[in-house]
Amino acid sequence: MLELKDLHAEVEGEGIEILKGVNLTITKGEIHAIMGPNGSGKSTLAKVVAGHPQYEVTKGDILFNGESILEMDPDERAHAGIFLAFQYPVEVPGVTNTTLLRESYNTIAASRGREELDPLEFDDYIREKLDLVEMNPEFLERSVNAGFSGGEKKRNEIFQMAVLQPSLSLLDETDSGLDIDALRVVSDGINKLHGEDDGVVLITHYQRLLNYIIPDHVHVMIAGRIVKSGGKELALELEEKGYDWLESLATVNGEAK
Amino acid sequence: MAHPTRIEPSVLHELAMNRPVSKDRLWTGIAEEGMLTLNSNEFPDRKIEEWKFTNLKELKRTDFVHLDKAGVSPATDIEKYFLPESDRSRLVFVNGYFEEKYSSIGGLGKGVTVGNLAKYAGDEAVKEYLNRLVNYDNDVFTAYNNLMFDDGAYIHLEKGAKAEAPIQILNIYTDSEQPYIASPRMLVIAEEDSDLTIIEDHIGLSDNRYLTIPVCEVKVKQRAHIHHVRIQRDSLDAFHLSRPITYVEKNSEYHSYTITLGAKLSRNEPRVIQEDEEVDFTLDGLVLIDGDQVADTHSVMDHRFSHATSHQLHKVVVNGSAHSIFNGKIFVRKDAQKIDSFQENRNLLLSIDGLVNTKPQLEIFADDVLCSHGATIGQLDPEEVFYLQSRGMTEEKAKEVLTYAFALETIENVKVDSVHKLLIEEVYRYTKANSKPKVPA
Repeated sequence: MLELKDLHAEVEGEGIEILKGVNLTITKGEIHAIMGPNGSGKSTLAKVVAGHPQYEVTKGDILFNGESILEMDPDERAHAGIFLAFQYPVEVPGVTNTTLLRESYNTIAASRGREELDPLEFDDYIREKLDLVEMNPEFLERSVNAGFSGGEKKRNEIFQMAVLQPSLSLLDETDSGLDIDALRVVSDGINKLHGEDDGVVLITHYQRLLNYIIPDHVHVMIAGRIVKSGGKELALELEEKGYDWLESLATVNGEAK
Repeated sequence: MAHPTRIEPSVLHELAMNRPVSKDRLWTGIAEEGMLTLNSNEFPDRKIEEWKFTNLKELKRTDFVHLDKAGVSPATDIEKYFLPESDRSRLVFVNGYFEEKYSSIGGLGKGVTVGNLAKYAGDEAVKEYLNRLVNYDNDVFTAYNNLMFDDGAYIHLEKGAKAEAPIQILNIYTDSEQPYIASPRMLVIAEEDSDLTIIEDHIGLSDNRYLTIPVCEVKVKQRAHIHHVRIQRDSLDAFHLSRPITYVEKNSEYHSYTITLGAKLSRNEPRVIQEDEEVDFTLDGLVLIDGDQVADTHSVMDHRFSHATSHQLHKVVVNGSAHSIFNGKIFVRKDAQKIDSFQENRNLLLSIDGLVNTKPQLEIFADDVLCSHGATIGQLDPEEVFYLQSRGMTEEKAKEVLTYAFALETIENVKVDSVHKLLIEEVYRYTKANSKPKVPA
């Protein structure tokens, strides 16, 4: 469903290349984990796929269900079924969770040919989803992420994912900032939401998330490229050895390849 | 009348001094005071610190005429501005003059007097307080009002009286062939333990040029409460220079919310003066401007005694080549201890050509006080816009939602339902029209 072909991207206007030729194919029903050290470009990759205007794709292509999405705005990508769970979810004071979700749900529903829900129907619908991430219903009437703890924000992202039912979910360090109980809740939620028709990309530093969510494929990203791919056992190997032994795959004589 | 020391004549000076008055003119003493001020004070210009950012040249150059020579149109279709809550507590003024046929009074319960000033000119409270609360130094605009007003709104609550419904003071400005001047006046006296809500609305029916100089005097006596909403929806070619001043006595509360939407140039100078301990007051503002509008707020919160809580949240959204000015003075006098004062001016700039000048000004002479203040000027955060877009909203919708959310905070404490709803609609209308940055033509 998602194909990245020799994807190069830089920060708009700054000329600093962050993605230096990423190739990746995700088939529906799969869970992929992308791991790598800080600054390797993992989060950038997720943002570029979601259409963040700060980044410019300079080469290569992103195909979603066989079609290039490079010219699509972030909202159009969301309509097509792409969802990004933010590493740092944004606070939007003055807009309640319910308002945002109903607006989002109905916009996406309309563009994907699903039925829109009126406020009462929507209320019933989201209450079911709350249980999935064990969220207190009072969160619904609070402003989006305003005053939420780090863990609550991450939970809220997965709650949004549950409500919006995307076909491709990019989860950017959803595990960071979660204590062990919250990690279990969030992981269970993701596992329950994942089905044979959708794809999940987990971006993470740590192997521990992968104890709860078992990936089909693990990729290691260093210096803007995927330098190694393997099965779930690769994550354990990384946990044991760190990333240093892979650095050489990204460089030749100390220079980036 | 002679005016030998007058330094610089202007059309406004001429008009104010030579207006036709009837023989039975009330308040000639107040007019005399205005005359004295005009005789010895110049029309302000940008060389004066207080007017540094606000250019009055166009006001000064306008050939205003007396209202009776301006060819004013009648007020039509104004019923839509009547608040449902105030169907028996409404005063209507058209171009500054009381219109009995549109007004409706008498439904407010015991001890509440609402009417036009001229009718109650003999009242003790009118004699005691009218023009005695105004305190704007050598302000020529207050002087113009002193010379030109014949009537105004009068609200008086006896001890312990509670107004059963919000009182609407509706100021309507009609279309005209020539620019004219209106001098609305308000006097509000809330005696001990009384309670009332005032909705003061200024509405321009057309896009003509006029000048309105509302002067409003409010006295909140011991343990009395006033909730005061001021909405300015003047013509986009109008000048609006308002002077609302309030005195708060022991254990009283005054909460005001000023919403600035209209006028080519507005200058709002709210002042709250503490007269005893244990008071609580609010001076919040919301400004939504566009095109070439200029909106200036120069406020004073004067803490003269211990134990006061004050709050000023002033939020501004600027689009087009509009210009916002904010100068918020907070005084805490010597020995005024245990003051908890909050001031914040937040500005949202939607366009490249918009301009914001902001100057929080704290003068604190006591040592045991808590005064927080801040001013920010910013654009919509691109991360926030992206976040909402990634949830399926178009860029335009995301900006609209964020602007709306920014503005909404200042009006959520307005407690009259229909007014709250009306303001939400106004905010929505503005954000809808301004979700795309505008380039001036």
